[in-house]
Amino acid sequence: MGFFFQELVNGITTGALYSLIALGFSMVYGVLKLLNFAHGDLYMVGAFIGYFVIQWFGGPQGLKVPVPLLLVIMFVLSAGLVGGLGVAIERFAYRPLRDAPRIAPLITAIGISFLLENSALLLVGAQYRVYNTPDFIKFSSGIQIGSVSIDSVQITVVVLGLALMVGLRLLVNRTRLGKQMRAVSADREAAEMLGINVNLTIAATFFLGSALAGVAGVMAGLLFNQVNNTIGFIAGLKAFTAAVVGGIGSLPGAMLGGLLIGIAESFITGYLSSTYTNLFVFALLILVMLVRPSGLFGRAQLQKV
Amino acid sequence: MYGRGIIAATVLGALVVVGCSSGGSSSSTAGGAAKKCIASVGIEAPLTGPVAVLGQEQLHFAELAVANDNTANHTDITLVQGDTQLNPAQATTVTQQFTSNSAIVAVVGPAGSQEVEAVGPLMARAGLPFISGSATAVALTAGKYPTFFRVVSKDSVQGPEDANYIIYNLHPKALMIVDDQEAYSTGLVAAMLPIFKAAGIKVDHESVSQKVTDFSSLVAKVTPAETVVVLPWQIAANAQQFGRDLQQEHKKTVIFGTDGLYSPGTFTISGSYVSSFGPDITAIPADAAIVAQAKAKYGSFGTFGPPVFAATHVIDEAIAAVCKAGQTPSRANVLAAIKKTDEPTSILGQPISFTSHGDLVNGKFFLFKIDSKGNYHLIPG
Amino acid sequence: MSLDPQPPATGPEVGADEWVARHAHRREYLPSWLGVAQRAVERVGWWPRLALVALAGAALPALGLGGFQVQVGIDTMEVALLAVGLNIVVGWAGILDLGYVAFLGFGGYAFALLSSSQLGGAGVHLPAILSIPVVMVAAALLGLLVGWPSRRLIGDYLAIVTLFFGEAFVEFTNNVAPGVLGGPNGIVGIDPIHSFAVSLTSNVSYYYLLVIVLVAAMAVLRLLENSRTGRAWRAVREDPLAAASMTIPVNRVKLMAFAFGAMVAALTGTIFAAQQISVFPTDFDTPFLILIYAALILGGAGSIAGAATGAVVVMVIYDGLLRNATYSGYVFYLLIALTLVAKVRPWRRLGVVLAALVAFGLALRAIVGAISASAVAGAPASTGWLGTALRDWVVIPANSTGAGDWGYVLLICLLIALVQVKGVWRTALMVPAIYVGAFVWETKLAANPAITREIMIGAILIVMMNARPQGLLGTRRVEVVT
Repeated sequence: MGFFFQELVNGITTGALYSLIALGFSMVYGVLKLLNFAHGDLYMVGAFIGYFVIQWFGGPQGLKVPVPLLLVIMFVLSAGLVGGLGVAIERFAYRPLRDAPRIAPLITAIGISFLLENSALLLVGAQYRVYNTPDFIKFSSGIQIGSVSIDSVQITVVVLGLALMVGLRLLVNRTRLGKQMRAVSADREAAEMLGINVNLTIAATFFLGSALAGVAGVMAGLLFNQVNNTIGFIAGLKAFTAAVVGGIGSLPGAMLGGLLIGIAESFITGYLSSTYTNLFVFALLILVMLVRPSGLFGRAQLQKV
Repeated sequence: MYGRGIIAATVLGALVVVGCSSGGSSSSTAGGAAKKCIASVGIEAPLTGPVAVLGQEQLHFAELAVANDNTANHTDITLVQGDTQLNPAQATTVTQQFTSNSAIVAVVGPAGSQEVEAVGPLMARAGLPFISGSATAVALTAGKYPTFFRVVSKDSVQGPEDANYIIYNLHPKALMIVDDQEAYSTGLVAAMLPIFKAAGIKVDHESVSQKVTDFSSLVAKVTPAETVVVLPWQIAANAQQFGRDLQQEHKKTVIFGTDGLYSPGTFTISGSYVSSFGPDITAIPADAAIVAQAKAKYGSFGTFGPPVFAATHVIDEAIAAVCKAGQTPSRANVLAAIKKTDEPTSILGQPISFTSHGDLVNGKFFLFKIDSKGNYHLIPG
Repeated sequence: MSLDPQPPATGPEVGADEWVARHAHRREYLPSWLGVAQRAVERVGWWPRLALVALAGAALPALGLGGFQVQVGIDTMEVALLAVGLNIVVGWAGILDLGYVAFLGFGGYAFALLSSSQLGGAGVHLPAILSIPVVMVAAALLGLLVGWPSRRLIGDYLAIVTLFFGEAFVEFTNNVAPGVLGGPNGIVGIDPIHSFAVSLTSNVSYYYLLVIVLVAAMAVLRLLENSRTGRAWRAVREDPLAAASMTIPVNRVKLMAFAFGAMVAALTGTIFAAQQISVFPTDFDTPFLILIYAALILGGAGSIAGAATGAVVVMVIYDGLLRNATYSGYVFYLLIALTLVAKVRPWRRLGVVLAALVAFGLALRAIVGAISASAVAGAPASTGWLGTALRDWVVIPANSTGAGDWGYVLLICLLIALVQVKGVWRTALMVPAIYVGAFVWETKLAANPAITREIMIGAILIVMMNARPQGLLGTRRVEVVT
């Protein structure tokens, strides 16, 4: 039984991470109908920012500030900088293509992905950069329930992830900005005609989505320890998968999709086989898609005549 | 209105300029330095892509070797880069580029055994010698590729040696062995599994892709009976994370890694064993200068750099020997010179000479244990 | 004019309808002599154009191309064939298929199994005239299988299922049945394409084979494009509901798109496997898919000629020019020159910018040189006439790696700022931006040709999509977003 719960804990942690990335991806899709393949690379930039913050404050063994303060700085800085980068990318690359057929921004996103990945390789180098989290967040600070050990990093990730998801939901449903975002995703031209500043709303959406990716990047660094310039590709793919399986454009769907993938991976590795993990996860997700063709929470698409 | 016309004219003009200049853009050497030994050496490595960390390290060490040898031998050897991204189809394109470039007389690399299989026939047809610092598949030196050499031992040596060490020194009743779905890893696993099975050890064979960075689910599967987990991986950072996950889930399993894990800056899990085809060059006094240079320019390094240094050095020495005999370096005479290589000592701490099929003669293996501070200690014998 | 009702006009009214028609017709073409050229090219007709291009392609090796150029030509034509096949699914039927490269892999592996010593004792060594059709038919069936979810899934949901299929293929060939499929070691020792005592062993022979196959495929697809099936595809792409109400069997049409696309990809796979003499799982991974998509969309999705043109542009630049350090430099500076010439108007302004650029560089170098000799002691990475020209213009410090990093970051900031500002500020900002660009190139980018290659292809994709979102030969479409 302990094994089951251990895998469950691991699955929920990684699932929370995937959910965060998928949320940002889904938000951007909602307003622009754009599959932002560069989203995973924003996550990678966030992870690097976290690493450099740790180095700046003395490195994992010689920290000059208390750990909670370090974490806050890492998250806030990463969210801010990556959010800004996202806004710049939108302004620079996606805005001119707002009215182009959907496939054109896809290639632009791929171009940006190439640029981000290889700029990181050029500037930072190919060496894996290590957070060495256990040096400043000891394993002993976690919880041990029977044979199941829950690390404090895992707890932080899940709690922060949940808080961000709840916060995002409140923002989208209860604030004016959220209402504008929903209006722009429903019908951009109508929203413009109603006096909503569409450019600003889209920029705000990109900022939030990218900030979430940045925070997820720092979390990944804390959890998985090593960062290098290629981690964005897989993360982006998982985000895309989670967002679509959950119903693209739907935020609760993205959250659930991410959790589903994390838990499925964990249990399939544990109980079935690690060699064929990916194959089984794909099979499971295809099954989900066939049963619910618009994703878990997606709305059935109206076909306009 | 004239705009697009001007653009077309500019493009045409630029093309003409490029065409005219590329005819004469080969480096014009001053006539007075006619004594200099001029040649180009290609390097095929995964310089970008998922395993760029290995390729960039290989490139840095190759550059170091060329710089040192040019100064020592008064040669003028240029290194030409070719990025393969560990993809055999790209390796073919890069190889075609190198074989068409008549200035290139030898190639360092490619890094992966699959790439060697893909480019071997091309190299053979062009008579271009190539020395790999990391392709360990056994089948490569079965005689198919007459211009192939390597400065590392093959899987059929490393696999059984490691397996026997584990059985007779660590005495596990059960163990987990995880491959990373690359040819290097699966080759070693294929060599080790029969030996473990014959010794009656219960083996749990798992497999994860190199791109996976979270091993908590896999680590949860390690049972208390499995006292050893064998990780014949290429990426040391992944093994480090695996070790951390083991610690986090309070498992006492010992990690046994192969040369991919040899990376004193990255893999530091206390109590682990690492077997390497290269010694700890930081512990070899004769290598102190190179180590210092490498650390100053490139920071920490692992196990993939030094063999490429050795390979490049072999080629540089071959070219220097050809020039000293009064000939101009060409593929044929450099190949002959490489075959005659007999270095009494090298950066790898052992002599370098090649069998008739291109294998390293008496390739040694070194076993290290990591202490609680993360330092590597050579286990004698 | 009487107030009695006039008889209806018998033709376009001069001064009204005719002028509008002529003006609209004229506006489809580029201005001045380029438009004349365009109309002349169009008058030639599609088939003669194809013949001309085929002749040009076949004549290229005779012009004395080396082994590398022939290899790049082979790679280019394989990508062109794949782009033309992908065009059926993405451009004509409007289905986003993110697993297309798996069909290529299927073709390669199937051919490998049928033409090597992998299966059984001595293996199966079918002649190509038998194995290639078998592989293509099998691939069509696989395409039908993969397309089957399209009955229930549309748009991005179908895209993700195809993505799974693509990823699953690589995992499958890497991990499942290593005895048969070879695992990560793949299948080596594949027979060359042979039948009736003709065996293609040299690279040049594969080049010619690909020219023939590509031209044949383009011809067949052109016929398909103008057939009922082609029209059905276009109808389903634009509005599936309207198409269904016009009695087009939408599901069957989508399946046909998958099947045809799979067949073309499998054909390419067989030639790929024979030419490489080996197949490995990593030959068919997602980065290659991205390349095919870039080629198709850059060239113009929906147009056969566009797909092939896009492939030529992308592959010649990415796989050919950018692999050579000298040519990379030329491409870089040429792109800057082209952007200036294309975007800076009027001509006087361009002249001012160029003059200011030269003056700025010389002045800066003089000032920095006066302050510190080591700051200008380095040499540019470019060689030949370009290096000589730049030596006295760009400030290159003796130890340039750190400066190159900061220069790169500064360049990104300047480029973003360039997009934001307008008018005089934009003109003024161009000068330092170009100067810093040259600086970064000479110090950092040219020293890392492999990384620079990736950065440049990314930048080229972004710029070309912004400049012409419909692709080089595509037509502007308005998508109805539901």
